[in-house]
Amino acid sequence: MAPDISVPADAEQADRDRTDTESQTATDADVVIRGENVIKEYQTGTQTVRALKGIDFGIRPSDFVAIVGPSGSGKSTLLNLLGLLDVPTEGTVRLRGTDVSTFSDSDRTTKRKHTIGFIFQSFYLIPTLTALENVEMPRMLDKTPVKTRERATDLLQRVGLGDRLDHYPDELSGGQKQRVAIARSLINDPAILLADEPTGNLDRDTGDQILALFDELRAEEDVAVVTVTHDSYVADRADRVVNLVDGDVKNDGEPASGEGDHS
Amino acid sequence: MSWLYRIAGRFPRLVIARRNISRAKIRSILAAASILIGVVAIGAIGAGGAAFKQSQLQNIQDQGATNVFVSPGFDKETSYFDREDLKAIDETVGPAGVVATKSGDMELVTRGDSREGVSVTYIDDPRQVQSVERGQIPVNWRQSVVVSKGFADEYDLTLDDRVLLVSETETDSGPVETEHTYRVVAVLAESQSFGTSDVYLPIEEAENRRYSQVRVTTSSTTRAEAVAEALRDRFNDRKDELLVFELTSLVRLFKTIVNGINTFLAGLGSISLLVAGVSITNTMLMAVIKRREEIGVLRAVGYEKGDIVRILLLEAALLGMLGSAVGVAIAIVVALVANAVFLGNPFAFTQSAVLYLVGAAAFGILTSLLAGVYPAWRAANERPIEALRG
Repeated sequence: MAPDISVPADAEQADRDRTDTESQTATDADVVIRGENVIKEYQTGTQTVRALKGIDFGIRPSDFVAIVGPSGSGKSTLLNLLGLLDVPTEGTVRLRGTDVSTFSDSDRTTKRKHTIGFIFQSFYLIPTLTALENVEMPRMLDKTPVKTRERATDLLQRVGLGDRLDHYPDELSGGQKQRVAIARSLINDPAILLADEPTGNLDRDTGDQILALFDELRAEEDVAVVTVTHDSYVADRADRVVNLVDGDVKNDGEPASGEGDHS
Repeated sequence: MSWLYRIAGRFPRLVIARRNISRAKIRSILAAASILIGVVAIGAIGAGGAAFKQSQLQNIQDQGATNVFVSPGFDKETSYFDREDLKAIDETVGPAGVVATKSGDMELVTRGDSREGVSVTYIDDPRQVQSVERGQIPVNWRQSVVVSKGFADEYDLTLDDRVLLVSETETDSGPVETEHTYRVVAVLAESQSFGTSDVYLPIEEAENRRYSQVRVTTSSTTRAEAVAEALRDRFNDRKDELLVFELTSLVRLFKTIVNGINTFLAGLGSISLLVAGVSITNTMLMAVIKRREEIGVLRAVGYEKGDIVRILLLEAALLGMLGSAVGVAIAIVVALVANAVFLGNPFAFTQSAVLYLVGAAAFGILTSLLAGVYPAWRAANERPIEALRG
């Protein structure tokens, strides 16, 4: 598989990358989300902070991409853009070929709902809801309670919690909570799972189970997994590693499989 | 899957809001309690005040607010009315009221031959003022007298008894006494009206006499007002021929005062509701800050800003409804007591009392909704990833 993350360190590099992009046009059809020369700036007081300094990326079905980097390197910003929670200042992010900047806030929310699943380090389950209700939560506003319940039950069985449907988060272990969170992220059949330190609060064994679950989902449902992590153990299992430093990709593509095409 | 579950599934935002409220029970109860206090303040003061006003108005009405009293004015040549004056007044009043004159200077010769002063009213037909309990008033009731029940009891009079009345007339040669004998033809039913008298004589008996005061009895306060207006128009155009005094002006004054006091107190109540609004805002802001991550998750999984706003406004409205419902219940109890005390019937709600109660509830809910706007707006505009990454 061709890695899609590349970085123009400067303008010349950007030009070279453009040819790179063109060579991939044939496979563009199945790219879920693609960013080109993405720049993101924030206004903090009178200062303008450039959080992303023009990076390219592309996520295909069943990819497993790990984003690593020190804090302040732009990981959050990239996650925001991938999750359609924000639009770039310059450059384009395309969701299945459509520029996301053409979407209204409401459109983006709808697309996000049906394309992206979120998983967080702290799980963020709602403490007053049972495992089942937590999984149903993203679909509550759809007003299809019966269908939603069936789907949520299936998903919890799928992640191995079929016997914990009516347990509250308090009554679940960390690994179980994260599995509930994964089930929740899958309820709308997303194309991409965005996982923010998914194993950060888990021990190695439990983390392994979660990573195994990711592999399973990628294989069986063609879900792409993009994870932000500090953990080299997680990064090692990824197809591609994107190393963000100060809003730039430093060394792209050191996949465990050892296949990288970066310039 | 239960039917309840299916129904709840139709109103997801309401379900979420309700669940959120019961999460921080104490905080929610306190916030609702602050609304409750405001609603009780407005509702109880308003409804209680309305009952008080009603009872006082009734009192004044009972005291004869339907009467207009006319005395000779400063510019009148004589300090009394004669027959001509009476006629003129009667003409002016027309069918709107009954003219009666009053003379308090008659004396009753009792059986023990002692004399007691009584107030006598000359009137065309006493039935226009009071109803008859016993006896009948003939069409032409010259030489007859109609007495009140109290008077009959006091002097042990029954129908067909004879009553000796002595009147005193000022003449040039000094006071002259005239004796009159009347037959009791009717006893009137009891009445608490102010301005009624014990002894009624036919108006014809008033001939050639001088009267210090004329009373016009009407059937309603509005008529009394109209009569007073007509009399002033006719007689007091340039000169003050008449002193016209009607209780309706007092009623109006009283209404103005009570309404003013009531509005002021309800205004104070509204201030407590304002404080309640601040408390709701505070509660909601705390909830929003506490649930920052959760709201971030909701946004991330596809809840729109509008959904977040609606859920939080629903929460605020639910707090308001909770406070208002209990508050109105308490205010109704207070109003029931006030009705029982002032009006003698716990369920005698006046229209303005009901308006105050409904208004208090509506105001309570509206205040909560407004109080929820800022926290809801703030929560909806939080950036999800920032909320989730700390």
